[in-house]
Amino acid sequence: MEDKLWKVSTSPHLSDRESIPRIMWLVAASLAPAGIGAVYFFGARAAWTIFLAVASAIATEAAIQKLRGKPITVHDGSAFVTGLLLAYNLPAEVPFWIPIIGSAFAIALGKQIFGGLGYNPMNPALLGRAFLLASWPTHMTIFRTPPRGGTISGIDVETGATPLNLLKQAQDVLHQAKVAPGEVPAQKISEAMMHISKLYESYGNLFWGKVGGCLGETSVFLLLIGAAFLLYKRYIDLRIPVGYIGSVALLTWAFGGSEGLFTGNPLFHVLAGGLVLGAFFMATDMVTSPITPRGKWIFGIGCGVITVIIRLIGGYPEGVSYSILLMNLTVPLLDRYTKPAIFGARKR
Amino acid sequence: MKDVLRMAWILGVVTVLAAAVLGAVNHVAKPRIEEQRRLALEQALLSALPKADPRAIVPVYEGDEIVYYKGYAQPDTTGLVGYAFVARGAGYSSEIETLVGVDTTGQIIGLKILREVETPGLGTKIEEVRYGEKDPWFQRQFIGKRARQLAVDKDGGEIVSVTGATISSRAVTNSIRKGLEELEKRLGGFSKTAQQVSD
Amino acid sequence: MSVGKEFTKGLYAENPVFKQALGLCPTLAVSNSVRNAVGMGLAMTFVLVLSNIIVSLIRRFVPRKIRIPIYIVVIATFVTIVDLVMAGFAPDLHKALGIFVPLIVVNCIILGRAEAFAGRNSVFRSLLDGLGMGFGFSLALFVLAFIREILGDGRLYGFPLLGPGFEPMLIMILPPGAFLTIGLLMGLMNWLDKRRCS
Repeated sequence: MEDKLWKVSTSPHLSDRESIPRIMWLVAASLAPAGIGAVYFFGARAAWTIFLAVASAIATEAAIQKLRGKPITVHDGSAFVTGLLLAYNLPAEVPFWIPIIGSAFAIALGKQIFGGLGYNPMNPALLGRAFLLASWPTHMTIFRTPPRGGTISGIDVETGATPLNLLKQAQDVLHQAKVAPGEVPAQKISEAMMHISKLYESYGNLFWGKVGGCLGETSVFLLLIGAAFLLYKRYIDLRIPVGYIGSVALLTWAFGGSEGLFTGNPLFHVLAGGLVLGAFFMATDMVTSPITPRGKWIFGIGCGVITVIIRLIGGYPEGVSYSILLMNLTVPLLDRYTKPAIFGARKR
Repeated sequence: MKDVLRMAWILGVVTVLAAAVLGAVNHVAKPRIEEQRRLALEQALLSALPKADPRAIVPVYEGDEIVYYKGYAQPDTTGLVGYAFVARGAGYSSEIETLVGVDTTGQIIGLKILREVETPGLGTKIEEVRYGEKDPWFQRQFIGKRARQLAVDKDGGEIVSVTGATISSRAVTNSIRKGLEELEKRLGGFSKTAQQVSD
Repeated sequence: MSVGKEFTKGLYAENPVFKQALGLCPTLAVSNSVRNAVGMGLAMTFVLVLSNIIVSLIRRFVPRKIRIPIYIVVIATFVTIVDLVMAGFAPDLHKALGIFVPLIVVNCIILGRAEAFAGRNSVFRSLLDGLGMGFGFSLALFVLAFIREILGDGRLYGFPLLGPGFEPMLIMILPPGAFLTIGLLMGLMNWLDKRRCS
């Protein structure tokens, strides 16, 4: 075993079976159900996208480590997980060069440039996604392939758009109608209202994953299986996902409705989009999330607040990835200011 | 005290010298700048009213404001070929100004975007000229259309919007439609048949 | 320092953008196409050289306490000249560079050179320094714009280079692309310097 630490580190010295490769490969395994779901819902193309993203991540990691003259550690699984998460954040029909470039960027400029595993300030997979979204927005926002099992809750969508996209579009139409009365045809308005009410009743499809969206985000059920496993193994801490999802639910309930306070639809906002994927698998990344309990609460709630602001007020339909990236940047500060007092020390 | 006066004196001399230099440069450059502005507007007017004579496009005032232009086929302002006006609409990150030319029946015959500062690569595609083509494809769609046909596809109209830039596309389309409707009101209606242009 | 070095130091060893990290705002903003970069670089070089000459000429008469306002007046004069001439003779470039031409007035490279160099050196050396710094700035802008225009637009100096099959990497012509490129180039230069030293 080359992972054995012979260096003397600070106490406590506990011996444990846990190691970075073990944790990373188990995280990868917990993501497997969602991956299988992606292939089931979106077809063989999804498998290729996932494979290319993972292969590119591993190849980039190995190449850069060789270039820097460092030991090559691709077997530790962290590049594998990064590639996997990036693929889960892509629409089903992206061209094959998108996962390759995205993973290469994520590993090279999101992780290795800062010094490798453990030194990256932001989640590399999300950084890769943000890069792709800024570079090729048309590829990253077109959801043409409808998932197996039909339409989104009975709405006939030729573009197979995501639930959040449809919601934003419908709300745009209603907003347009309010700002400039008489400019939007009445039929458009009633159609938008019908879309919203149908979306709000589609919990079943949203839960099982029969909706359009990025590869790994659609099925809440499959994601929760993996999340339960990670929670059981105690690789992730409930504080971040609870703070995150809880604040999204509360805020969308309070401000998401059109008829005043507390008329929103929190369940829809929790189930739709990448919230569950983000809250359990990306916000909880060990390197880029706080280590103190209070810091974790603040981190999770902060992610929730930013997500809701982007979804309800911002230009994008979805805000999970940007909110996590922004909160990643606050982690050093959070860790510093939420450090518990040393036992016996006086509060200053 | 003496020191302060000396500093004021030096600063004063420097500023006066600078002002003199700038005055001289301005004297040379100003006519050129005005010429360039005029040329830019004239070019835009010509692409909006291709059949009009460049010397016979006359502004129509309402108060101090130019509300539209009339374009004539002959330099002696005979043979009305159409009207041109500036349409303004709020885009995604800027106000988009478009100069639009219509014939006497209210059919669009030419247009040119005068000003926009939209997102590069998305909103700016309203001015994109595809490789091997001469004019921007988005604007070409407007040629031959009338006010009632003007709405982007997402609002149930005939104008195909730029992918990823519905707001910019909608701003152009709606501002042109509104401008057309205003012009029609000002003119008291467009003529039913196209005026014959005598060559 | 030898006279030749007064000129060459601005190109690499003391490059205003890559080594001193000065004037980054216009650098980031107008390096999205080679045409803009060249125009901006020339405008900057013109102002830098002339303001360096004038500042050096008057350095003995200028009281220390009011040197900054006097430098600013000198610089602003040349910037306004550039602005007027550009508006009259190169309107397209003037439109593309927009607010960044008037903003040369407060560009820290120019005031920095006036304060740190021209205010205490001979006219000839100041001229060379201005030329070197101006070319260094132009060179930096050109390299950045070269990379950004090809990747972000598939064109070079406005001509389609990579053909219609290439899908431009939009981020490169947006501000984040400028930060990425400039960061990577600075890193590369530091790495090269380090290797050369050891």
